[in-house]
Amino acid sequence: MSKNPQKLGGAYVPEMLWDTLRKLSAEFESAKKDAGFQSEFQDLLRNYSGRPTPLIFAVRATKDLGGARVYLKNEGANHTGANKITHCLGQGLLAKRLGKKMLIAETGAGQHGVATATVAAKLGLDCVVFMGSEDIKRQRPNVFLMERLGTKIVPVEYGSKTLKDAVNEALKFWMENLDTAHYCIGSVLGPAPYPEMNRYFQSVIGREIRSELMDRQHKLPDAVVACVGGGSNAMGSFYEFIPEKSVRLIGVEAGGTGTKIGEHASRKIAGELGIFQGYKSLFLQTEEGQIAPTHSISAGLDYPGVGPELADLYTNGRVELTYATDAEAVSAVDYFAKLEGVISALESAHALAEVRKIAPTMPKDSIVVATLSGRGDKDLFNFARAFKDESFRDFLKDEYDRY
Amino acid sequence: MTDTNSLKILLGDPSTALGVKKARAFFMAHMIAGYPTMEESEKVAEALAKGGADIIELQIPFSDPMADGPAIAVASDEAIKAGATVAKSLALLEKVAKLGKPVAVMTYVNIPFRYGFSKFVKTISKAGASALIVPDCPFDTEEGRELLTTCKENGMYLIPVVSPGVPKERLEQLARDASGFVYCTSRQGITGANSKFAKELFAFVKELKETFQLPIAVGFGVKSKEDVAELKKVADIVIAGSVFVNVIKTAGVEKIEATVRELIS
Repeated sequence: MSKNPQKLGGAYVPEMLWDTLRKLSAEFESAKKDAGFQSEFQDLLRNYSGRPTPLIFAVRATKDLGGARVYLKNEGANHTGANKITHCLGQGLLAKRLGKKMLIAETGAGQHGVATATVAAKLGLDCVVFMGSEDIKRQRPNVFLMERLGTKIVPVEYGSKTLKDAVNEALKFWMENLDTAHYCIGSVLGPAPYPEMNRYFQSVIGREIRSELMDRQHKLPDAVVACVGGGSNAMGSFYEFIPEKSVRLIGVEAGGTGTKIGEHASRKIAGELGIFQGYKSLFLQTEEGQIAPTHSISAGLDYPGVGPELADLYTNGRVELTYATDAEAVSAVDYFAKLEGVISALESAHALAEVRKIAPTMPKDSIVVATLSGRGDKDLFNFARAFKDESFRDFLKDEYDRY
Repeated sequence: MTDTNSLKILLGDPSTALGVKKARAFFMAHMIAGYPTMEESEKVAEALAKGGADIIELQIPFSDPMADGPAIAVASDEAIKAGATVAKSLALLEKVAKLGKPVAVMTYVNIPFRYGFSKFVKTISKAGASALIVPDCPFDTEEGRELLTTCKENGMYLIPVVSPGVPKERLEQLARDASGFVYCTSRQGITGANSKFAKELFAFVKELKETFQLPIAVGFGVKSKEDVAELKKVADIVIAGSVFVNVIKTAGVEKIEATVRELIS
């Protein structure tokens, strides 16, 4: 029985967005049934993004962990290095059908921003990306890439100057430019139809996991593990398996540095029902309903809310939520780099940390699949700092001198 | 609707008088509870009332005010950092309501959602508020319906917020449940100090009057007496907000009274 009888999701937005969201919903519904749209989307996924992405059998990690067979669904093999490009392509095509000239987006780590900028360039659309000024400082390489892709970056100078403020600013800009701009929301959240729409595009991940595993192992996985910020790669990985009751679905949130408010970004630890940025879900917030500060070493998980469909699946018990700390995430990157030759993004490393915990407890003939939402290139500077790598520090000094 | 609703007395019975038969448009002045501090915001309210505001719009600050421009977003943030809480804002409301001007409470939906809608509406009603404005809670959501019912039970107007571009079909839906007045943004966008009134605004206000049969309040972007004069031509209520935040920032709370006088002169 559901512990939460309230319907999550919805569209809690100013009236000026009513018509825009209605038209977007209608276009999404018609595109789903349109063979032309489907073939264009599939073609871009295959011949631009590089799908299907590989399902890696982590043979050495499996042996080392001594339990379940470990597979990694490598979404990092996508063009631009993460799962984000999938829903950007879908939304970009919808934006063109709606006659929009511009994509706008928020970004935290810069992954969704780079993906949106890339798709805008590919489809011939203008692009404006909103980014907290704190994140701009932390993620300069992605800012540089977006600018090279022809995108305008708008720094957000108020609030916590991070992802949630970038969403606020993108929403405001959208409300002023509804005729020309499509807001390419970067996760399975925001007002309807965004959570459903992005999950629809991302659900290709789960379908590929199923068919790849069927081909090679002739059975379903016993567990699917994915990191959860807003939940785009998690919903994409889980959706296919929701009716398969034998498959455990485990979302791994950012445990940060501790369990006090402001030290983590885990709704399992402290999420409460609320309404924020257009949707009803679980949020980190104060007793009075102010949105609380969050922390994670991975900018992509550093956000107070979780997608409403995922919150629903969690409250009714179908999806389990857990968390990994900053330190566990960094250590998991190192572990899979050394054993499997895979350098994961810090976000995805939260899922890998959970695999290290559960695989040894599972029988040897069982299968656990972890979705590697993105590759670690973007975290080069963060990794170097986390490992206190002195040669990298020296390199940066030299590089500065070379300018 | 009880006769103790001071906004109703001010506007007259909207179903018959529409408030438009009066000689001048009313002036609604916006302020943020706890900005720049809790104590000083009480002085802001006094100055607004003394300066000649007819209605005071009191915003309970929310951490992420989606429909507000940078001026009010930053001020809300500063108010919260300076110690503004929902509890203190509600205590302030009681004092502001005693100044003898009708008060409309504005906030974002997560605040009353967490407080409990019924308890929230009862509390602001008891404190003396006449109207409630929640721009991110459409009437046809579960929460919107709950707010409509609770407001009705407590003699509180629940004010719809619309702007040019909202289609007639939607306005007609909203009109079924609207009471008090209609809050209209003057451009397709957010609050701020760029006083470029949308071309289609005047036609839109006319459409609103026909659709809602209620007084129309127009705001967002008012910064000078010329702006006020321009809006008065069509609006029953002229709203000004970020201008006062800017005055507090640049000249201090003591300049608020003169600013109101200047705006409505």
